[in-house]
Amino acid sequence: MDSEKIFLLFLIVFVSTSLLIVAGIVTSLIINSYQIFLRDGLSFIFKNVWNPVKEDYGILPALLGTLISSAIAISIAMPLAISLAIFSAEIAPTSIRGFINSVSDLMASLPSVIYGLWGLYVLAPILNQYIMTPLYQYLGFIPLFSTKPIPTNLFTAGVLLAIMITPFSSSIIREAYNAIPHHLKEAAYSLGMTRWEVIRTLLGYIKSAILAGAFLALGRAMGETVAVAMVVGNTFTLPRSLFDMGYTISSLIANQFPNAEAYSYMMPALYGGALVLFMVGLIINLAGLYWIRRVMTRG
Amino acid sequence: MSFLDEVKSVGMYTKYIVVIAAVVIAALASAFVLSYLWMPTGGIGSRESATTALTTTSPATHVTTTLSGVVNGAGASFPNPQIQAWASKFYELTGGRIQVNYQSIGSGAGQAKFREGVVDFAGSDPPLKSDIYNEFKAKGGIIQFPIIIGTIVIVYNIPGVESGKLRLTGEVVAKIYLGEISYWDDPAIKALNPDLNLPHEKIIAVHRSDGSGTTRVFTAYLSKVSEAWKNKVGSDFTVSWPVDELGNGVGGKGNEGVSAAVKQNPYSIGYVETAYAYSTGLAIALIRNRDGNYVLPTKEAVASAAKALVKVLPKADEDWSHIFPDQTVDPPGKESYPITSFSFVILRQVYDDPVKVAILKEFFEWVLTEGQKPENIVEGYDPLPPEVAAIGLDGLKLLRTG
Repeated sequence: MDSEKIFLLFLIVFVSTSLLIVAGIVTSLIINSYQIFLRDGLSFIFKNVWNPVKEDYGILPALLGTLISSAIAISIAMPLAISLAIFSAEIAPTSIRGFINSVSDLMASLPSVIYGLWGLYVLAPILNQYIMTPLYQYLGFIPLFSTKPIPTNLFTAGVLLAIMITPFSSSIIREAYNAIPHHLKEAAYSLGMTRWEVIRTLLGYIKSAILAGAFLALGRAMGETVAVAMVVGNTFTLPRSLFDMGYTISSLIANQFPNAEAYSYMMPALYGGALVLFMVGLIINLAGLYWIRRVMTRG
Repeated sequence: MSFLDEVKSVGMYTKYIVVIAAVVIAALASAFVLSYLWMPTGGIGSRESATTALTTTSPATHVTTTLSGVVNGAGASFPNPQIQAWASKFYELTGGRIQVNYQSIGSGAGQAKFREGVVDFAGSDPPLKSDIYNEFKAKGGIIQFPIIIGTIVIVYNIPGVESGKLRLTGEVVAKIYLGEISYWDDPAIKALNPDLNLPHEKIIAVHRSDGSGTTRVFTAYLSKVSEAWKNKVGSDFTVSWPVDELGNGVGGKGNEGVSAAVKQNPYSIGYVETAYAYSTGLAIALIRNRDGNYVLPTKEAVASAAKALVKVLPKADEDWSHIFPDQTVDPPGKESYPITSFSFVILRQVYDDPVKVAILKEFFEWVLTEGQKPENIVEGYDPLPPEVAAIGLDGLKLLRTG
């Protein structure tokens, strides 16, 4: 066998392994959760109840909590990530670029339990005192801020998630920005553009990478477990404002899994939650891919 | 050798290296799969003790054993620090011959792993449920017995009210978690605390968000003292908290999450294991016991509660599910602290391996005697009174090889 064939064989083996793993995960999610869908149907997704005493489960608050906290996270993280990327790639003096980049990469690789503890003991009280309470006091008439905040809630979870995903998406954007052919930048400057105009033009050039960074970060935010479980408040109620406590699907799984086997339907319910999370992630990613493709074809 | 030749030979080597790597990976993968398939139902955990050897047996009262081997347990996280402390002390005392491993994975998961036969013993906050107990009984039987006392304390954060000053009754606590009492200056609380200046502030009721034996015992207590709680909510590892629906409840993950939430939220109340209340410096409430006295969870109050229970506790081979914790909370006795709880160990009566039987017997006999002495008790736990330890010691006599 020549090396070309061996190489091809290897690719096939590894590609099919990863496909098999994904397929295996989906299959086991379905096998382990079908009981709850068989019993409750789709009402399992749209019910607001988590009552192990009566074996009654519905994950709507957790699903909404996942979407809300991730939405907060992504809308705070993206402007930060883009600014950080541009600063370190374009504006910062070369001597400190390496420093900024390694700090940001270090932040991206910190274990999430560290973020969780820091979020619970440091971030949550600060946010409560200096941001959430003033917002509630002065802008409480806006429904978004209408709940009297306590330190752990959906907003805190969103901000913590934003801090966790910023370095990650920033490094994707930075790499894309650095990969822009140099002559484009030179051409832009030679046309007499200001620095801001050049940056804006180049950002347009890497639009698809920015979107990809955003969707990958969103995926991480939706799946984040430990850190969120510590700061989200963990109450099974439908959120009415950003400052309400809530739940996310992954924090629900983290909280309830250890004793789930003591019940007949909690395990299927948790697997069902995982399946729903997987589906939502899939839909969002497909929508993202479609969007990126459209952006790219328009140029 | 010319440069070109060198490049060629490197290319050759690469090819061989690739082939060798492929073979190694394939071999490792198949070895992994095969070893997994060939594993007896015991799984990875139980294999270790197959290598143990029975040298001589000795009467198991002191640690004079010449036994050696490994036993594996898993379950409740609450007794974990204590079990680890016992295991390492016992490991020292036996000169490293007996190793007891315990994984803290939660009571429910521990029971499940024990049922599957993956571990030799389970640690569990509540005893086995009736149906599972009967399932085991049909298959040779089990024993389950208390190994340590855990106490649940009501903690609060009311600026200006010091620890040990606030008086509460179970009924009032139930009403707070039901959402029927929402302010600290509610007449029901004021009536218990005429001397305190209680503010007109909303009560934030903190509870565990993860399924836990602590919640099981706490809600058993609320069910016992409040008919409304029993009918509306009930008792379990996790319950649906009525106070959450009013927006006044907070869930904290683990004892540490509850402690943090109480600490961070002025005018909050919560329940945690004693150790966490002391280590975080939270204010502890006086609770009215069945005899009408207000008590703190002192060593004496806890011991008094445990002694009062001896009469109602079943034998190790009996079904405990109707007794604990529903019958054991709020015990009689002038000094008794009402929310006192046991943590259990669950063993089979019959094991295949005689070494395992001997080790389990020896270890748990040591735990129930020497292990209960103050120097072997981790801070935050309370030792069993000898009358309660006797349940386990009697039960261990039923262990046998089959």
